[in-house]
Amino acid sequence: MAMRGHKEEKEVYRRKAKGLPKVATRIAGLDEVLNGGLPAGQTTLISGGPGTGKSVLGLEFLYRGAAAGEAGIFVTFEERAPGVRQNALTLGWDMAPLEKAGKLFLMEAHVDPQAVLSGDFNLKGLIAIINGKAAAMRADRIVIDALDVLLRLFDDPARERNELYVLHDWLIDHGMTTVLTVKTSKNGESSGRYEFLDFMANCVISLDQPVTEQIATRRLRVLKYRGSGFGRNEYPFCITDEGINIIPLSFAELQHKALGPRVSSGHPRLDALLDGGYRRGSCTLMSGTTGTGKTSVASTFVRSACERGEKVLYINFEESQEAMVSSMLSPGIDLRPALQAGRLRLLTAMPEAMGVEEHLSRAFKVIKAFQPEHVIVDAISSCERMGTRMTAFGYLTRVVNACKERGITLILINQTSGFREENEISGIGISSMVDTIIFLRYIEIGGEINRMLLVMKSRGSKHSNQYREFLVTDHGFEIPEVYVGEGGVLTGAARQEQEAREEAQHRRRFQEIEQKEREVIQTRAALQAQTATLKAELEAAEAQLQTLRLNEKLWQNGRKKRGEMRGQISDTARLPTPPPQRKRRGARRPGGAR
Amino acid sequence: MKRSGQKGRAEGAETRGKACIFRLFVAGDERNSRQARENLTQFCEKYLNRRYEIEIVNVLEDFKSALENNVLLTPALIVISHLTHITIFGTLSDTHKVLSALQLT
Repeated sequence: MAMRGHKEEKEVYRRKAKGLPKVATRIAGLDEVLNGGLPAGQTTLISGGPGTGKSVLGLEFLYRGAAAGEAGIFVTFEERAPGVRQNALTLGWDMAPLEKAGKLFLMEAHVDPQAVLSGDFNLKGLIAIINGKAAAMRADRIVIDALDVLLRLFDDPARERNELYVLHDWLIDHGMTTVLTVKTSKNGESSGRYEFLDFMANCVISLDQPVTEQIATRRLRVLKYRGSGFGRNEYPFCITDEGINIIPLSFAELQHKALGPRVSSGHPRLDALLDGGYRRGSCTLMSGTTGTGKTSVASTFVRSACERGEKVLYINFEESQEAMVSSMLSPGIDLRPALQAGRLRLLTAMPEAMGVEEHLSRAFKVIKAFQPEHVIVDAISSCERMGTRMTAFGYLTRVVNACKERGITLILINQTSGFREENEISGIGISSMVDTIIFLRYIEIGGEINRMLLVMKSRGSKHSNQYREFLVTDHGFEIPEVYVGEGGVLTGAARQEQEAREEAQHRRRFQEIEQKEREVIQTRAALQAQTATLKAELEAAEAQLQTLRLNEKLWQNGRKKRGEMRGQISDTARLPTPPPQRKRRGARRPGGAR
Repeated sequence: MKRSGQKGRAEGAETRGKACIFRLFVAGDERNSRQARENLTQFCEKYLNRRYEIEIVNVLEDFKSALENNVLLTPALIVISHLTHITIFGTLSDTHKVLSALQLT
């Protein structure tokens, strides 16, 4: 990736190189590898097997130079000029205006295969043409593509060598910065026939394209650079629709921006666990087995960021855009408004679909053009499918670096393969680059699987160290209240059981009180009932008493009347009179009440 | 710059078809260019009975012609009178090759 400080770096390299003048290639990343560019006025050899990108590299050098006003000549022995122009167009380079402006000259150096060879000949024709054209265009850079095709005409290694030296000397004498491309055999070593080219050239670049695990990766290596330092690694590169893109990992200096202010995760309770949310420009790793809700947590963040008017790039290696949008609808996270508003962009691709460099350059291109505030990568575990674990590591390191340099909040989703695989937490060994780790997992308690969430690490902030129960509902995810009962964190049924136990205890105490209350009421009711019965008995007794008294009175009256009728005799005195105490009312209790 | 060199006679062309018209590209006075020029003249005198024309182009002075004719190697002989395009690179020292190229064998 060409960094923004490309030009300044170039200047630095110039000064460092102490007098070795260099010509910047302006090819993304190549000048970093070459410590500034190709040797000015000298010869650079690009060797590689067929299809490794030699011609493209040469052409891009000239195209970028021409676009910057430096005239150049492209001599091709293999391709026809219209074909070269067409190929250039697919790389986004329109050669025609530059050709018209006299900044670029495509020379179709086609040697008629029907041509008859008779006697000695040399390359003076070619040299004369280059000389004339270079003078007319004031060009000082030239690429001679597939020179070996021309050299084969000599049909004699000694003659080939002689002619090439003549050409080489002429080019150097005329101060031409020259790039020669030569095909090599498949194993990448230049064949013995053209070995002398390696000695002749001041700078030798080798390209190859090994296929590992069915994924081809283009690689570039500088084999030698006389009088200059250079990056000595094998640099993977890709040919994108913008040309060659080399991302020299070891040159990716750590120019990370400091962590920014908090940005909400889209969920108040997760914000609380994160001490206020994610830090802007930080890198969060969200790790967990499949189905633990990683994408839901990320999508919740995406939705809230887009609602605030921020832009999010979601790199999805797992699902297509449609599949992801519809799968997020079931937990109630609607990403469609964000997509429609152009704030969310999904970049989807099968990891196997292309080499790691192509993945990278696609991502970087979108990051550059779309300028997102946040980037999600789902899932980094899939990156291994781009090649090897090392490939994935390279990809992620560069994505993390690119985001950190731009102050982009990055969320990496990592799918761990098994239950309780703590060692997978770090995600392809990038944990040191990660600021925050959120771990989602299933736990099994009492024969039940529940989701748990843990903030494992959060650089530069306080954060909860508790496993929290985590639910995915049909209206987003939920982190229930912390269980505040006895014992540790409980989830699911275990939590419910414990809560039920407490509830029961509570209910029991309440019931005791209620029971007592009822007893009191019942006792009071019994008392009242007994009182009522006694009262009724009393009343009945009183009624009987009255009846008796009435009868007595009637009997007395009757006797008196009978006596009067019989003539009131003196024997009245012989009849007993009723006892005087019987006349007093209420003095005695009725015996039958008990 | 085109420079018409030795022009052979065109008379007698009617007896054995059309005359051969040659364009010889040379690089100044280089040794093999000089040889090619000499070899061509001898050849023409010997086999073409003066029914020929030779145009000499010095690529060092006229690179545009070299470019137009795609002459990367010198000396180069282009036969322009024949229907098929014939190019012969080299000093033309191998007379048999030249003869067969011109279909005169």
